[in-house]
Amino acid sequence: MIKAKQRVGLIFFPAFDWCITPDHPERQERLLYTRDQIQEEGLLDISGIEEYRPYLAEDHQIARSHICVPSIERRITESHRIAAGGTILAADLVLDGKVDRSFALLRPPGHHANRIVHGSRGFCTINNEAIMVEHIRQRKGSDIKIAIVDTDAHHGDGTQDIFYNDPGVLHISLHQDGRTLYPGTGFVAERGGPAAYGQTINIPLPPGTGDEGILYVMENLVMPILAEWQPDYIINAAGQDNHYSDPLTNMNFSARGYARLTELLNPDFVVLEGGYSIEGALPYVNVGIILALAGLDYAHLKEPDWDLTRVRQSAAVMDYIQQLVVEMKELWDTRQEVDLKQVFGQKPFFTRQREIYYDTDGIAEQQDEKIKLCQQCAGWRWIYSTAVRARAMTTRIAAVLIPWQVCLECEKEAQTYYRSLAKNSEFDQVFYQDPEKNVYLSK
Amino acid sequence: MRIIGIDVGGTNTDATLLSEDGQVLAMAKVPTNHHDIFASTKTALEEILQVHQGSQPVKLQLSTTLSTNAIVEGTGQATAVLAIPGPGLNLQDFGFDFPLYTLQGYIDHRGRIIQEVDEQEVISVAKQALAEGAEALAIVGKFSQRNSRLEKRVKEIIEQAALPFEQLTLGHQLSGRLNFPRRIVTAYFNARVTKVQTDFAKMIEELQAKYPLIAQVQILKADGGTMSLAESCQRPVETILSGPAASIMAAQALSSYQNTNQVVVDIGGTTTDIAIIVGGESLQQRNGAEIGGWKTLVPGLLTYSLGLGGDSEIHLSEHGLKLGPRRAGTPVALGGNAVTPTDAAVALGLTSVGQRNLAIAGLSKLTNSKYNTWQKLAEAIVDAFVNQLCTGIKEVYQSLENVPVYTVSEILAPPDIRPRVLVGLGAPASVFIPLVGKKLALPYEVLPYHAGANGIGAAASRVTISITLHADTERELLVIPELGLEQTIRRNLLFDLKQAREIAVEQLTNYAKQLGIEDYGEVQIAEEEVFNMVRGFHTVGRIFHLRAQIRPKVYPVVGEKS
Repeated sequence: MIKAKQRVGLIFFPAFDWCITPDHPERQERLLYTRDQIQEEGLLDISGIEEYRPYLAEDHQIARSHICVPSIERRITESHRIAAGGTILAADLVLDGKVDRSFALLRPPGHHANRIVHGSRGFCTINNEAIMVEHIRQRKGSDIKIAIVDTDAHHGDGTQDIFYNDPGVLHISLHQDGRTLYPGTGFVAERGGPAAYGQTINIPLPPGTGDEGILYVMENLVMPILAEWQPDYIINAAGQDNHYSDPLTNMNFSARGYARLTELLNPDFVVLEGGYSIEGALPYVNVGIILALAGLDYAHLKEPDWDLTRVRQSAAVMDYIQQLVVEMKELWDTRQEVDLKQVFGQKPFFTRQREIYYDTDGIAEQQDEKIKLCQQCAGWRWIYSTAVRARAMTTRIAAVLIPWQVCLECEKEAQTYYRSLAKNSEFDQVFYQDPEKNVYLSK
Repeated sequence: MRIIGIDVGGTNTDATLLSEDGQVLAMAKVPTNHHDIFASTKTALEEILQVHQGSQPVKLQLSTTLSTNAIVEGTGQATAVLAIPGPGLNLQDFGFDFPLYTLQGYIDHRGRIIQEVDEQEVISVAKQALAEGAEALAIVGKFSQRNSRLEKRVKEIIEQAALPFEQLTLGHQLSGRLNFPRRIVTAYFNARVTKVQTDFAKMIEELQAKYPLIAQVQILKADGGTMSLAESCQRPVETILSGPAASIMAAQALSSYQNTNQVVVDIGGTTTDIAIIVGGESLQQRNGAEIGGWKTLVPGLLTYSLGLGGDSEIHLSEHGLKLGPRRAGTPVALGGNAVTPTDAAVALGLTSVGQRNLAIAGLSKLTNSKYNTWQKLAEAIVDAFVNQLCTGIKEVYQSLENVPVYTVSEILAPPDIRPRVLVGLGAPASVFIPLVGKKLALPYEVLPYHAGANGIGAAASRVTISITLHADTERELLVIPELGLEQTIRRNLLFDLKQAREIAVEQLTNYAKQLGIEDYGEVQIAEEEVFNMVRGFHTVGRIFHLRAQIRPKVYPVVGEKS
């Protein structure tokens, strides 16, 4: 009988009775053909590939990475809880040694969900990978180093937002250039906050990038960076919309390309993100990822309409990518030589303002953020966030955020600040979040 | 009509005569002649017919080990598989231990033909299979249950070329379920055992000619149901593992709790088998039965086997005591030389079989510092038996609760499978079942012990048939692979779930009639899925997936006390 070389735990949850709206890309049908292909190929009969049933994530597991306004209960559905719970289960299966690798093949996705959640954006409400990272840290301790490699065609902006000042996390996002695609971010210059500078790595790829280009980036940039940073765990946020048949993007990646990428990266955990070519790509890409994770032969895998002449990228695209890799490798190699005072200033706090648009729910959010430039820890921070909705009240909240391994001084300052904010009637709600100590307050 | 049930087991052949109102009128037992199963069947039948007398018509229901033996022992016809895999997993990786030839051709998950088969290739490959000794062929395509045309085309090419294969099995006809590797194995076994079953059927027909009162013959299947003799020649692979299924059906028939959630525990000498009944129906394997280490698509009852029985080994140490998983031998109380759980029960006076003094003497020899008297040891053995069995039962339910489901509603409100009653059978059941029931806080029932319970099960089983309907309104196509049906959906915009259900029920009913089955009872829709297909921002069609079945049932048997 066929036997997997690495044991793989599959948490498959297609949510056949859940949709954003009936004709939305995130609808019941999305993983139907994937289910059919997985069953017909007999993948679940392979010794060493085991299917598991997800459970519902609890509030405190979500609260570690999110400030949901006004509450978790009001922002998410049971389906989101199952997707988050399935992702947590994927972590536990590996941490408990039940399997070597796990794949949370479930929906709805999460990588566009920021720390502050006023609603849904980019089909996402809560961030499955972020919830997974915090769960792993709770179990394995604060020194653990986790790398997230986001291979969705869209920039993993939500995950970047959550970990952008977190020294324990390396976030690498490969995506179609933000100048040509939602969410319009993910440029090379976005490199992380003062405590994690250089650990946010954005690799914007030109439209038309195919197997050759993406695998070149993996081999010559992503793998060397990972080899140097030496994460304890690697999470692959596996969006499948770099596929040549995806209706929302303009890339040329193939199912075999995805399988090769998975084989190269050999992630501990794979979490499905986007991918909306539900018939032409997902069935084959998912089979490819599972085979690669299990260490099995994927050379016979091919989409029905695969045609080399159609998916071959142009020479100009390859030149561009090679140049990009050279520049980005240099940025990585010299990241510690950068004078952070030049980047973040010399005041006690670094300040930034952002505008965030929630395309799915039509909300415009404005954020004012201050991060304490602390020598002892990553620094406490606060965010003022105003959400403007059409035909509804504007919401204004403040959140005080405590980093992992916070220093005593920062913690005291943050607590004092939270108490003063809580008395301030300027805000509808005020939040306090300490994921390490599991303290989540709101007023 | 009276029913004669015959179960040809590994050691004995058991026969039962059942009256219309479920009374056991007669039972017979003859040793099984492994080399001539028909002879054993005939002898058992004739013994029963002596009791039956008269000329009142009877129905004969048979459970045989013919296919199981042929598969496990590697006999039957030399068979090759012609596979149409298209792209995907590497078939080499599966390590199939039979000749398998790969053909061109490719069907995708929607049942669209991406690549046709090549006539010349089919002929040359089939000739090669013949030259290499194949007498029978299984033709199996990936996604053939969504579109059977390539399999049918290969068959047609081989028939036109007049290549002399004795059997041709087409994969799509055996099951509507997805799973290409299982379909390959299932079709391969089916082709291999077809002749064995056909030869047997001929002999049974001759027997029918001799005893015209045998009005009907039904053959038992792995799912605890039956099928007609003629059908068993088309789908002989479904007769595998019918013996174990017969014993579960006997428990269901004899139990005074009908239509309740039950856990059925069959305690034997070497193993204990656990089966689960939910709302009066035995749970089936999720994908299909396993035989000889191979996974198939044959519908089969879900049973879990524990290495724990009346004759189990006893492992003693300073820390405690563990039983099984192997058999130690015949208990000393029954004249053997192995100290077993049976001896503990005999010594404690929990059962009246065997010789108590021998059991006590045997146990006394095993006492140690922890269990320093035979009483303490015997009690510890009985405790260990009960504990291991309770753990086993709990694990079975846990694994069932973890069976993956694909909808939010099933996660939020899973069906209630918890047992309401514990039903025990097998010789040691009267000792252990009351203790297990007490520990699990379940009411229990110990069925009267029948050495020939399988014969009762064979008599009590009823017809099962299931079909799969897959309709794709965008492709305007409706298929029922088990019936080889493919039809165009006219007025596809109006096609809805109600129509899909009606067609499934109608096709199943017609099929049952065609097989001459009248008392099929209730037709039910066992699975149902509907998906809107949206392309661009428009609904372009719907996909319907239904499974209709004749609700599996048993004829209740009045608890005849032995």
